[in-house]
Amino acid sequence: MENLDQKFNETIKMGLEIVKETEEDRLMTLSVGPQHPGSGHFRFTIKVDGDYVVYCDPDPGYVHRGEEKMCEYRNFIQNIPHLERPVIHDSTNITYSYSLAVEELANIQVPIRGQYIRALASELNRQVYTLYWLGIYGIFLGHSTMFMWPVGDRELFIDLLEALTGARVTHAFNIPGGVRNDMPEGFKDRCLSQVAYFEKRLDEYEDIFYNNPLFRQRTEGVGILTKEDAIKLGVTGSVLRASGIPFDVRKAEPYDIYNEVDFKVQYMKTCDSFARSMVPFLDMRESCQIIRQLLDKMPQSGEVRAKLQPNPKGPVGESYKRVESGRGALGYYIVSDGTPKPYRVKLSVGSFRNILALPHLLIGSKLADMPSIYWSLNYWPVEADR
Amino acid sequence: MSSNQSNTQNGSEQKGKGSESAQTSLLKKTETITPEFESSIVNQLVTRFTDKIVQVVYVRPGRTKILVPPNQIVQVARFLKDNLEFDHAESVSGTDYPKDNQIEVIYHLSSYSDEKLSSHVLALSTRVDRNDARLPTLIDVFKSTEYHERETFEMLGVYFEGHPRNERFLLPEDWADIPPLRKEFRIKGR
Amino acid sequence: MATAPKDFRFGNFVGSLIQLIFWILIIVTLVGLPLIFIILFYVPLPPVNGEVLTPYLFFSMMVDPTRTIPIINFMIHTDMFRVAVFPGFSYAALLAAATIFIERKFLAKMQLRIGPLYAGKIEGILQLIADGLKLISKEIIVPSGADKLIFWTAPVAFVVTAAAVVSLIPAAPGWVVADLDVGIIAVFAFLGFFPLIALLFSWASNSKYPFIGGMRALHQMIAFEIPFILSALPVVILAGSLNLTDMANAQYSYWFVFFLPISAFVFYISSLAELERIPFDLPEAESEIVAGWLTETSGMIYGLIQLGTYVKLYALAGLFVILFLGGWAGPQIFPEEIMPGYTGEKIYNATTVNAVFWFTLKSLGMIMLILLPRGINPRIRIDILLHTGWYKLIVLAFINIFVALLLVYGGVLGPGGLLST
Repeated sequence: MENLDQKFNETIKMGLEIVKETEEDRLMTLSVGPQHPGSGHFRFTIKVDGDYVVYCDPDPGYVHRGEEKMCEYRNFIQNIPHLERPVIHDSTNITYSYSLAVEELANIQVPIRGQYIRALASELNRQVYTLYWLGIYGIFLGHSTMFMWPVGDRELFIDLLEALTGARVTHAFNIPGGVRNDMPEGFKDRCLSQVAYFEKRLDEYEDIFYNNPLFRQRTEGVGILTKEDAIKLGVTGSVLRASGIPFDVRKAEPYDIYNEVDFKVQYMKTCDSFARSMVPFLDMRESCQIIRQLLDKMPQSGEVRAKLQPNPKGPVGESYKRVESGRGALGYYIVSDGTPKPYRVKLSVGSFRNILALPHLLIGSKLADMPSIYWSLNYWPVEADR
Repeated sequence: MSSNQSNTQNGSEQKGKGSESAQTSLLKKTETITPEFESSIVNQLVTRFTDKIVQVVYVRPGRTKILVPPNQIVQVARFLKDNLEFDHAESVSGTDYPKDNQIEVIYHLSSYSDEKLSSHVLALSTRVDRNDARLPTLIDVFKSTEYHERETFEMLGVYFEGHPRNERFLLPEDWADIPPLRKEFRIKGR
Repeated sequence: MATAPKDFRFGNFVGSLIQLIFWILIIVTLVGLPLIFIILFYVPLPPVNGEVLTPYLFFSMMVDPTRTIPIINFMIHTDMFRVAVFPGFSYAALLAAATIFIERKFLAKMQLRIGPLYAGKIEGILQLIADGLKLISKEIIVPSGADKLIFWTAPVAFVVTAAAVVSLIPAAPGWVVADLDVGIIAVFAFLGFFPLIALLFSWASNSKYPFIGGMRALHQMIAFEIPFILSALPVVILAGSLNLTDMANAQYSYWFVFFLPISAFVFYISSLAELERIPFDLPEAESEIVAGWLTETSGMIYGLIQLGTYVKLYALAGLFVILFLGGWAGPQIFPEEIMPGYTGEKIYNATTVNAVFWFTLKSLGMIMLILLPRGINPRIRIDILLHTGWYKLIVLAFINIFVALLLVYGGVLGPGGLLST
């Protein structure tokens, strides 16, 4: 009899445990990436309860290349080509702040024309990156035209950059002390006409993509990152500006000749995915204006590059410089020990900072909102991994 | 562990010279022009804590670096956040100094809420023993340091006490070598 | 580009051609002809010109083409022809192939690109064949732990169900595989199989993403089934019949789309959802759930499901034409006779050809309309979709039911109405 009771109690216990397990079993664990069409070179594990995401754990590192370690083995100039690998679509900007930091270390003065050309290349490259980002956003929302149009128009800027730098995607154009080469002849007119055409296209984009009711339904009110949270999580770039904080490194801490350029910092106060997708678009418009001004104000002739030692090296010291890239503030922290090779290079990239907002936004949202939240964070997996 | 020790010595022999001189001169370096706004921040820090705790490494336009001991870093960070409006960390990085047998961990702090500070980056640095690298985490003060500290943990082997996940982040899960950004880790063939 | 091999000689080429012809002749005489005789011996053939058709007579037809016409006439009125060729599967599959080609080029033009270009030299017209060959040659991967029986049968069932829907769609007066008195109900009954197949297949794949996709397909199709049926109801009221041929005949002079625009709109939206086309392709939403319930499909299993989808697309476009666009009604543009003065038995029937022409034209137009949203819309979210289905479309569908009732009781349309034919 005793035995039977014991068994009964045990069964009840087991039964209760089974009930507990089924509660857990409601959750379905999905591994999004790295072989998922909606992830990129990146994985995040999510758990869904029905259609709601209850858990999210980002797991980057699939394209980690050890850029920071590689930097310690090459001298300051040799570092440039491999440093643009993390984000080849924005390769001018990622070498921009590196050049700035090295210039500060080695105390190099960049000629004015060099500064202008550098800023011009940076703006053109920002357009290239943003268009690509917009195209992928279209794919993520299932809008194939939204992929084809920006990627087609991206060719305009790639052609311009090819004429300017000699390479289509990975330019290695910025070097400490200026830029590698001067503008080709007739570049100004070509650039102006293509920018004018592109501005017309931007109006069409707004009509067809941003004013599409289905696009708005997908993005408006989705993934709200409040101002306080944005500050707390330390996000940057368009994600930050979409949360109502008009912070732009070009304005806050003008580098090179950006204090001579007149532009507005575009920001929105709705804090949702729509704002995060709209801010880069507004930035593209501003960039067009900046390109015009840069071409106007540029000195017609002069040096584009300071004369350097064969192996430039600075005194012992360190510098931290940042620029506004397509994904936000992009900072380099370089420590030099007086040799021609950096002692330590640290990239502080926008993507890596923005990814902190992903679990914050995804938990509690619907599974169907996952793509529109994830890609609106302006996250470039390769850059985050470095 | 023994192999690690021997590696350490080798590494320090190879790289040591530069690093020591770098460090000493960094600490002694004083800027000729000290900008007003930046030095006011530093002065507030020094008056709140003594200059024994907060050592000013340099003050430049827009950039400030202070060095604090590891046990005081949370208090300094909290003071920076509550009283000086530094509200987020831009990066957390570590530099290995095998010659000093120390690892320097640097928090680059900046501010979004205060417009005057938006052009300013304050480097809050601390130095830990590299054989037993432990630091209190700043995640309770600056939430934005979460992934940066995780990265610093795996890249330099600095254990952040109180951090919820001192785990692999960027490196592969089966990484079985020393932390790669330590100087004794050599890239093959270099 | 194709280049001649280095040791190319024209003489060799001609020689090989002659050799080929020789072998063909040998094989035809030794194998082909006896085979034809055996077949003709067993197949019942119609009497021609009062004579019983024998295989010998059959071959004499080749000499005198006018004698072939009765046989062709006989053949195209068999059930087999209707099921297999027109208006059955081959016609539907041909239109489906045309649809895929149109979709690719049309979408490409919309997106400022070229589309398929190389296969088939002319505008990539053979791209579909190339794709089909590729799919056939691919390995079919069955996931471990999959329910093999369902996994293999579901794609076949998908195509069969799509073909079953096609069999109910009349393409010209009298040209329908199954002329049921409950035609429209049978169509919806067959369409009700699709969510079941999707769910079964997703369950049989034993994988997470297909499962989510299958559940989504089920939700979506059930949510849109009701407005779908409700939007067809006013047509039934006005036509006074459930038979699809009667419905098409009822709007010989006035298309119902002018009286029932809201119903037509609801029907269009619902068929987009039923077809899982953008913006309603949630069960296959690639950025969220990889490929939805098709994630584990590979090779020809995927090919079969695609074929079924496009056949279904034709079926629903045809149904829209029958219900709202007057079916095959249209001005007579083909001449009554193509060979004036010819008095023998004819295959050419001007009315039928005209009907087929207009029906095909309208169906293609409708297919274009169904393809159009893919170029201009992103994917909708599941909750908005369900909300649209359950709340908005059902209410909208009811409006035109009342309009239809008013028209019938007012004696304007319907059986014996003022405007009805």
